[in-house]
Amino acid sequence: MVRSQRLEIRFPGTHDGFAQAFLRLRGALDAERLDAALRYNAELVFEEIVANIVNHGAADGREVDVRCTLEPRPDSIILTFEDDGVPFDPRRHPDPSSPRSLEEAKVGGFDLMLMRRAASSLDYVRTAAGRNQLSVKLQRNCP
Amino acid sequence: MQLQVKDAGDGIVNVSLTGRLDTPGIDNIETLLTAHLVPRGARAILDLSQVAFLGSGGIRMFITIARALGRKGGKLVLYGAQPLVAQVLETTSSNDIVPVRSDAAAAAVARD
Repeated sequence: MVRSQRLEIRFPGTHDGFAQAFLRLRGALDAERLDAALRYNAELVFEEIVANIVNHGAADGREVDVRCTLEPRPDSIILTFEDDGVPFDPRRHPDPSSPRSLEEAKVGGFDLMLMRRAASSLDYVRTAAGRNQLSVKLQRNCP
Repeated sequence: MQLQVKDAGDGIVNVSLTGRLDTPGIDNIETLLTAHLVPRGARAILDLSQVAFLGSGGIRMFITIARALGRKGGKLVLYGAQPLVAQVLETTSSNDIVPVRSDAAAAAVARD
């Protein structure tokens, strides 16, 4: 039996806002019947996208307004993120190259790589209201 | 996020992490973990068996600490990762540059 209850979380793009929102999302995911890999991937997507918004979303130091929606479906769960930060389409950024050595290794870029690997599909649009809207589909019974 | 540091003998420091290496967890632990290991250029083995979640922030932290230790003659080796955590290490290929082993004994003798 799949519980189909939509959850919307609105929070400031700060570290405190992130922590509180993540707790709420995890509570909602507790109520879903997700296998361990899908559960992990849902959290991974939230972690990587929201951390990116918190760390890079504000061009002028102002607080970014973030909304996350969890929509359970019979065959998938959909996580949609909306924010009024700087335009950012994660589909347009390539994965970092594999590091050859510790000294040469970059410490950035893994967030988008992990998010893309976790997702079944991604849709992005910059809305007419000037907000990033990223929708991430995670298939149930993922491999 | 909790951290426990033990002397594992032969100059090796064994650090056990318990909790989640997400952004809030890293906010809690990174400064403390760095302070325990980097100033003394430790040869450190890091127990991930009680880490339920690892994201890219944790990868960044491991690489940063491992690099700082390497410059001081120390080393960082990870061990005991749960399967989904190990998958994150593999997906990012960070296990190619920060050694990952199955258990403490293998981590203690890891050379690369």
